[in-house]
Amino acid sequence: MVAATGPHGQSVKKIPALTPTVLLAAGLLLYPLVFSGPFYLDIGVTFLLAAISASAWNIVGGYAGQVSVGHAMFFGLGAYSPLLCYTLFGWAPIAGIPFGIAFSIALAVLIGIPTFRLTGHYFSMATIAVAELIRIYFGTWDLVGAAIGLQGPATARGWWDLTFRSELPYYYIFLAVLAILLCLTSMIERRRFGYYLRAIKAGERAARSLGVSVQQTKIRALALSAAFTSVAGSLYSVKTGFVDPESGFGILVSVQMVIIAALGGAGRLYGPLLGALILIPLQSATNTWFGGGGSGLTFILYGGIIVLIARYEPGGVFELWENVAPRIWRRKHAA
Amino acid sequence: MLLVQVIVGGLLLGAIYALFSSGLTLIWGMMNFINFAHGEFVMLGMYVTLLVVVWLGGGPATFGFAAAFTLFVLGVVVYLSLIRYVLRGPMLAQILSTFGLALLLRYTAFWVFSANFVSLPQTSLSGTINIGGVLMPVPQLVAGLIAIVLTVSLHLMLTRTAVGSQLLAVAEDRSAAMLMGIRPDRMQALAWGLSAGAAGIAGALMAIAYPWSPSVGETFGLTAFVVVALGGFGSVPGALFAGLIIGLIQALSAFWFGPIYKDIVVYALFVALLWLRPQGLMGKA
Amino acid sequence: MLLEADAVSKAFGSFFAVREANLSVDEGEIVGLIGPNGAGKSTFFNCLAGDAVPTSGRIIFASQDMTYAPPEAHARLGIGRTFQVPATFEGMTVLDNVMVGAYLRHPHHNDARECARQIIELTGLKAQTDIAAHSLGTPGRKRLEIARVLATTPRLMLLDESLAGLTPTELQEAIGLVRKIHETGVTIVIVEHIMEVIMTLARRVLAFNQGHVIASGKPEDVVKDEAVIEAYLGRGRHSYRSRSA
Repeated sequence: MVAATGPHGQSVKKIPALTPTVLLAAGLLLYPLVFSGPFYLDIGVTFLLAAISASAWNIVGGYAGQVSVGHAMFFGLGAYSPLLCYTLFGWAPIAGIPFGIAFSIALAVLIGIPTFRLTGHYFSMATIAVAELIRIYFGTWDLVGAAIGLQGPATARGWWDLTFRSELPYYYIFLAVLAILLCLTSMIERRRFGYYLRAIKAGERAARSLGVSVQQTKIRALALSAAFTSVAGSLYSVKTGFVDPESGFGILVSVQMVIIAALGGAGRLYGPLLGALILIPLQSATNTWFGGGGSGLTFILYGGIIVLIARYEPGGVFELWENVAPRIWRRKHAA
Repeated sequence: MLLVQVIVGGLLLGAIYALFSSGLTLIWGMMNFINFAHGEFVMLGMYVTLLVVVWLGGGPATFGFAAAFTLFVLGVVVYLSLIRYVLRGPMLAQILSTFGLALLLRYTAFWVFSANFVSLPQTSLSGTINIGGVLMPVPQLVAGLIAIVLTVSLHLMLTRTAVGSQLLAVAEDRSAAMLMGIRPDRMQALAWGLSAGAAGIAGALMAIAYPWSPSVGETFGLTAFVVVALGGFGSVPGALFAGLIIGLIQALSAFWFGPIYKDIVVYALFVALLWLRPQGLMGKA
Repeated sequence: MLLEADAVSKAFGSFFAVREANLSVDEGEIVGLIGPNGAGKSTFFNCLAGDAVPTSGRIIFASQDMTYAPPEAHARLGIGRTFQVPATFEGMTVLDNVMVGAYLRHPHHNDARECARQIIELTGLKAQTDIAAHSLGTPGRKRLEIARVLATTPRLMLLDESLAGLTPTELQEAIGLVRKIHETGVTIVIVEHIMEVIMTLARRVLAFNQGHVIASGKPEDVVKDEAVIEAYLGRGRHSYRSRSA
């Protein structure tokens, strides 16, 4: 423990920065060995995928404060591309991943350029509209399987098809991707790009007066976020071997990214991770309790949680902890 | 002839779009705030109508009033308990607040009413009427015309009455309005009530003429965005014209390309609008 | 001539907030802008800073036409500004705030941080380095804004009522800071209501009323100018003075 000054001027004890990361990495690496069995593994994989998507959203929605509520559009493009390459050309699905990334970045620029010069609401509205547009259109487009969707290889033709019986390999692949994403985000945090993102969120007008190219920076953030969201989508469709308009572009996909990031703490490195840690097991539990009607009630719950976050603690659990912890610490030491 | 029918049908539906979109644009113009749950307000208006007709056996006047009143109250409650707190907060909170509310309302409706499409039982407003060779269903005709009247009334109320000018004063300059003894908080609550009430009545009018399910809220919400963007930030007359235009475009798209395309074209129009003319027909971005 | 505003007008609809305003500032000067509220000073300032696009006229900085340039370009070319209502990055620390400014000329993290620390030392904010901006009072925020802008190494600083709302001691400190900044070679244009600031700092003053420049010259002269007094106090001052004389 080291003594330091906290952001509110209070004196706090700080754990050396590396320790949480090391513990976290160890925990995630060892999880499947401790909690073995298909059920736990499945939750683990779902958790990682959710963490990746939400962390990707976090770059533009959390750090830069540009709230996309239609991020599924990138997820879906990433999900369809591998299976489309397989269906059309017989390639290994992973070969389609770069295409997903390219399409997503193109879409990000297409949306970013007109909307980022207007107020924030336009961007948010545009994201829903475009996600819906694509979802409906894909439902009619035979090339991508219309309402039925696409499937991947039923059996592996080689290791590159990545169709594994057990979920264990997927777990570690996803973990690797998450690690890369979080490392990248951490690097951004400590560099000019990250500072500019936070400045944009905190005050665009002031940021511009200090020489920040606000529009350009936002577009870059959206493109980066889109690319990683696309990868998440690709991982999803490679693993499940299936995608359709709803699972690719549906509103649940967008909502989940937003709620996980916001619940944990939007704009924090580990916010989405924390949110996924809370929400994925919760989702699994409610699905079991509510049975078939689960998804309906899950949405009601999500809606309620989002409203509560907006009303009481937009900074999520991280912020809540930061506000509450000093008081607990003080009370403990005053007694 | 069929084309004329399609056009008129589109305009009539567009009139209802105009009505609920004026509510959205009022809030936007006044508080620089977008209500992502606005479509759900319309949807709820439709279900209130259904409940009044089925449980109370109420006629048009009853359910119209019920829808307007219930949603007015809901609008005020939402403002007082949620909106006025997030207005001072970060953008994330503002957008999440009504987005979360939309989910809450939509899926509660799914849970209570199921996902099946419903429509009102046959009322006195049924059948078709022949105007100059064009066959118009009476419910659509009545609903569309009433919608236009109400939208125009809203505009007149805002521009000609004392209350209206107070609302506009707060929209224009909050501090100045305060200095004149107007209470912005009260006016904003009223605006939310009016906005939701307009959505509620629009829902009642919709219910007369078209079947629906809880899923329509999402579509109406997006449609309202497009109408407001086309009509211009804060402009009720703009919303009227834009609503009619969007209704028309939708009907023609469905007619020429197929029913699936009616929404696709409208959303694509939205994106095109953002690129080419974000300030819309009348109003500033 | 470092900055020149040539017949700049800014209209909102049919209302002219600024009408044919002229300004020329030489390198190394401190120029003051005074005038009653609503006289158009801030709008003119916004035009100079690139926050508002003039309806007509030109703005030239260091021989470059800046009339339609966005605020980012202004900053890059060396024009910095503060805001009438401090616009600090509330959730970020003092250090991070200043670093955002420093990053303009120092793309690398360590250089930016070093530059920021120096500026923080210079502006007397060292004790608050790791405090979040929202925990500072208004005087602290104003000072932070100045520090942040300073980190962009501007040639010209536009200070928009940066010294308002300070206690006498804080005011003296602030005046000292502005002087110190000026001594490093920064040209300053300052909008202020506080006469003491104008009289002690500005070598030259322009008085605004109703969007127009109504007087310009040395502070002591402008302050005694009839038109200026009338602008602040309205008509009828004449008869009052002659009666009491």
